[in-house]
Amino acid sequence: MDQIRTIVVDDHRAFRTLAGALLDDHPAIEVIAFGESGEEAVELCERHKPDLLLVDISMPRMGGLQAARLIKAQDEPPHIVIVSNFDDAGHREHAAAAGADNFIGKAEFMEGVDRVVTQLQALRGAT
Amino acid sequence: MSESRVLVIDTNREQGRSVGAVLEFVDFTPECWADVDALCAQATRPREYAAIVIGDLGDSCESFYAWLKRDPQFPYILLLPDQVEVPHGLHPDEHAVLQLPIRHQQLAELMQRVSVKRMDTEAERMLSRLGPSGESAAIQRVRSMIDQVAPFDTTVLITGESGTGKEVAARRIHALSRRANKPFVAVNCGAIPADLLESELFGHEKGAFTGAVAQRRGRFELAEGGTLFLDEIGDMSLPMQVKILRVLQERSFERVGGNETKQCDVRIIAATHRDLESRIVSGDFREDLFYRLNVFPVEMPRLTDRIADLPRLVDDLIASLQADGRGDVALSDQAVAALQQYAWPGNVRELANLVERLSVLHPGQSVGVEALPERYQPAAMPAARQGGGLADATAEPAPAAAPGLPESGIDLRDHMASVEMALIRQALDASNGVVAHAATLLHLRRTTLVEKLRKYDLGR
Repeated sequence: MDQIRTIVVDDHRAFRTLAGALLDDHPAIEVIAFGESGEEAVELCERHKPDLLLVDISMPRMGGLQAARLIKAQDEPPHIVIVSNFDDAGHREHAAAAGADNFIGKAEFMEGVDRVVTQLQALRGAT
Repeated sequence: MSESRVLVIDTNREQGRSVGAVLEFVDFTPECWADVDALCAQATRPREYAAIVIGDLGDSCESFYAWLKRDPQFPYILLLPDQVEVPHGLHPDEHAVLQLPIRHQQLAELMQRVSVKRMDTEAERMLSRLGPSGESAAIQRVRSMIDQVAPFDTTVLITGESGTGKEVAARRIHALSRRANKPFVAVNCGAIPADLLESELFGHEKGAFTGAVAQRRGRFELAEGGTLFLDEIGDMSLPMQVKILRVLQERSFERVGGNETKQCDVRIIAATHRDLESRIVSGDFREDLFYRLNVFPVEMPRLTDRIADLPRLVDDLIASLQADGRGDVALSDQAVAALQQYAWPGNVRELANLVERLSVLHPGQSVGVEALPERYQPAAMPAARQGGGLADATAEPAPAAAPGLPESGIDLRDHMASVEMALIRQALDASNGVVAHAATLLHLRRTTLVEKLRKYDLGR
């Protein structure tokens, strides 16, 4: 099965580095680009048409929620996962309202990624 | 929306920096200023920030408060204790005083609440402005049903595909009811993990479970006297359905981990994009709860069933973005005409996303057809939508006229998929959703069609 072409967007360099290192070891995921802002998320998704976008909810100017709404209006939008430092009902509800497909709390980032990967592979298997 | 910038203003640089460090740790972006006058000379505005932390302002209190007044409503304010003077007109819900030395937990908890509140406020501003607007017969019927039921405390069940504006309808019911000056509280039952939903709805007592460090009110209590909107109720687990049924019958509940029975006076509006009757048949939804909720059903029309409203909706969406200072864009008549030909699987929400996208990517411009994403362009649309549809093709179908190949090329697989989807939808409509009949119309085996329905997520 092809690897899941993934873009990671977060304004904090430390998180990008950490996520990059963790995802590098994941057999199902290929990280094809990193971005630092919501605006960049929109641009990268348009250019690369990835399978999966992991985007931070909280960023200067355009955060992950607005980015998700804009990206869902592009052709062949990716599966969008909102990644958030705060994991509570309110943050999850707003992620869903923005059209995101999943939500991951940063404290359990890799467990969340594993769940999303399983789900994406099931979807692929069904088509 | 989900803004991360926090302004930290403190002539005591060390103190400002230590607040900034904690903020950064919980995923915010601190902007620390020690020179108050330099900040005031900038073109920045208070509302650009998720929150403002005010420390020692030195001699520049007045100029800073003048800067704060650049916006009629400023963001949440966190005060450091050495700043004794509270800005004039600040509501107790809009500020808090931090303890020194800065404690990570206190600041993190405050910022978590600030973050949710900001998202709530912005979502509410968008939703409360939007109608449901339009002049089509379908939406007028919805509005007249809403107006009819709003003044009574009748439970309402709103159904309709995703993105048809079920929450907008619920807000209108609340706004026209005698509860209008009491809270409207929404819960998305599908977005909250099952193990959290109970305490989210009913609240919990301190120590009820790991992590319940303090007593907390649930959404039923927050909605007291007002309206509780239970969105995506079709996604609720069976055990939770039992608990909701009990509240509907007895108008009372207990907090998780609590013994005290609390009475509640809340009007319930529920909504789902699922077909609850088929979920009853499959054993996923309780029939008794369905009858409790389905007292006054309102069905939201698909956007394609009121496509004449689209130009008006586009105008409203653009006006709403402008009013919020979040964008400014115009669509050419041709672009609007092209959008009226599109199938809109995501309904009004998809339209709202598209308009927002265009306003961000083409600020201040007039957008023509060529600037629309390809799937909204006529060339990428199924031939069936341009010429006669399936219904006309009773005779030997003429080979569909191939759409012109756009200069930028075309994603053939995607295009063929959209043709396939549009024809399947039409066949299903023509056969009242009976898959076997639709399969005959499409010259497919029933199992093949079922597979395609699953592939395109068309099973409703």
